[in-house]
Amino acid sequence: MAPRAAVEVRTLRKRFRIYHQRNQTLKQTLVKRGRGAYEEFWAVRDISLSVEPGTTLGIIGANGSGKSTLLKCIAGILPPDQGSVRVRGRLSALLEIGSGFHPEYSGRENIFLNGALLGLPRRYIQQVYDDIVAFSELERFIDNPVKTYSSGQYMRLGFSVAVHLDPDVLLIDEVLAVGDQAFQQRCLDRIDQLKAQGRTIIFVSHGLGAVRDLCDTVLWMDGGAALALGPTERVVGEYVAFVNAHEAARLDQEMNSRPVLPGGRAGVGITDITFLGPGGRTALFDTGDPFELRIAYTAPGPLVGARFYVSIVREDGVVALTVPTDDEAMKDRVLPPSGVVALRIPALPLLEGLFRVTVGIAEIETNEWYTLLDRIYPFRVHSADRGERGVALLGQRWTLPAPERRTLTA
Amino acid sequence: MATKEILAVPATAGTARVPQSGAFARNRELLAELVRRDVQARYRGSALGVLWTLLNPLLFMLVYTVVFSVLLQTRYPGGVPAAAYILTGLLVWNFYSQAVSFATSSILSNSGLVRKVAFPWVLLTISSVTAALVNYLISLVLLIPIYIVFHLPVALPLVLLPGLVLIPFVLALGVGLLLAAGNVFFRDIEHLVQVGLLIWLYLSPIVYPPNLVAEHDHGLGGHIFSLFFRFNPMTWVIRAMENVVTQGLWPVHWHGLLYSAFFAAAMLGLGVVVFQRARRRFAEEV
Repeated sequence: MAPRAAVEVRTLRKRFRIYHQRNQTLKQTLVKRGRGAYEEFWAVRDISLSVEPGTTLGIIGANGSGKSTLLKCIAGILPPDQGSVRVRGRLSALLEIGSGFHPEYSGRENIFLNGALLGLPRRYIQQVYDDIVAFSELERFIDNPVKTYSSGQYMRLGFSVAVHLDPDVLLIDEVLAVGDQAFQQRCLDRIDQLKAQGRTIIFVSHGLGAVRDLCDTVLWMDGGAALALGPTERVVGEYVAFVNAHEAARLDQEMNSRPVLPGGRAGVGITDITFLGPGGRTALFDTGDPFELRIAYTAPGPLVGARFYVSIVREDGVVALTVPTDDEAMKDRVLPPSGVVALRIPALPLLEGLFRVTVGIAEIETNEWYTLLDRIYPFRVHSADRGERGVALLGQRWTLPAPERRTLTA
Repeated sequence: MATKEILAVPATAGTARVPQSGAFARNRELLAELVRRDVQARYRGSALGVLWTLLNPLLFMLVYTVVFSVLLQTRYPGGVPAAAYILTGLLVWNFYSQAVSFATSSILSNSGLVRKVAFPWVLLTISSVTAALVNYLISLVLLIPIYIVFHLPVALPLVLLPGLVLIPFVLALGVGLLLAAGNVFFRDIEHLVQVGLLIWLYLSPIVYPPNLVAEHDHGLGGHIFSLFFRFNPMTWVIRAMENVVTQGLWPVHWHGLLYSAFFAAAMLGLGVVVFQRARRRFAEEV
């Protein structure tokens, strides 16, 4: 006989009202007869799932796809409009940083309050209190009101409480992102440990790495409905493919709906910028692809003594490369009144990320810009995840000692 | 799937299983924790702390005593000194009005909890009323000097006190549940309640003696006031309180007291029904 599911959701539907203008006072309600016009939309549509005890379910999907609403329905905070939710065992939910914390209370008092909210006897909380504090590493701050905590500290306390209060079912909603790397790792290890103890975990995350590491099955939601539910590798793979295709379409649109580039000083300007990949014009690259950036310029006459300049900046502001043309070579070079200047990278060493280019033309003699287009066009780099992190590959290689012949040490 | 080695986490962490306890025991523990929080939150960040619970009714007693006894020469039943009469009623009223106004905002002011944690939210409202009761019990200390100064009789009817307190407790809970649910949808209820309670205070024989109403029961205004006065459940609670505390008598108006008890119970029933119906949409609306 199959084990009874720890969490069972049957054709769950949840509807929200979006008020155009909400009447929250009696006067408005009386005057306008009713609480204002609203539209209804289904935040969760016909989700069915069943999570076996001791397994971990990941929920992925874009913002607003209904992940958090589903989690709240499972937690029993939002009543479903249709369908049913059944949870077997004690449920602990970490739905938002510091949920259930009282800002005026010290960390210590909040631990006890949280425990009581989860339905635990005070005696039990006293037993695990030291473990909770030790795990959160907040010993020095535990008697300060939590309103003085940083968001990282909030999250530490919240997570420590949630995982130590003996949940049978643990719901985690995208909160790990706040902690520092070391703490995140400890949280993940702790989740592993809970899994080993047979606890059931439902995990909403945008961090596909963590989802891959932790989850047995994954639910991919979009527009409130399930697009896929199944083994982690398969669903995450489909999701990544979908996101890439979606992003390609978006980038393509952005490239094609190009704004009119502003004209530059003295009539020198950039008329077009294109990225070329292995298969022609594109905005999507894999690490190692040939990469070419083409800058079409125009000038009132032959262009002499111009410096072209390109900068590649990652979305978070990290500059991967800034490179001007060689002034010595360009000083006396005469360029036609219009033409194309290209920057070529034979094998793009950039790692995963969204990048934008800044392109400019300057006058070498005066060092003044003719034109400068700051972070104008995006392109996306995708890398097969082999564990590398950072901006770019550096042509690195590992060297190992010569392999030892297997000998028996008696 | 990860096969990571588990880092050194305290060996006992999470391994001990919690003994299973019934829903009642769990909710009682939670209620105790919420009441502790509500009581403490009130005194946090004020220099005089718990003293305010005592100072506030004392100051109001002084004001009312000066106005009614000294300026208006009002006489109170049984020849009880104005200060003793007014303080007794005022303490009960403070309990009731605090309970109602804290209960009204109990759901909305805990929106963080309601949005994020699933537990019986009704406990928040019960906790507000209970915290007001705790304050009341503390403030009863004020009666000790009153008993000593005015030589009030310490008599057997005082054993009724807990029963008498139960009526405003149940009434406040019923009204509070109703208003707490309403306040989630219409936020101006919180403000209306303050005005309503002030009117209600003057419809109860707290600062003036009850016979004053009978004496002025003529003309349309007098009749209407008298009607409200008699159907006000707090009237009979206060009158019984005065009998028991300041005069050492068994409650004189049993019928009125019985009416109040029924009224309170009916109110609680109504409050629970409305609250349970409204509860489903709390998490979306707060």
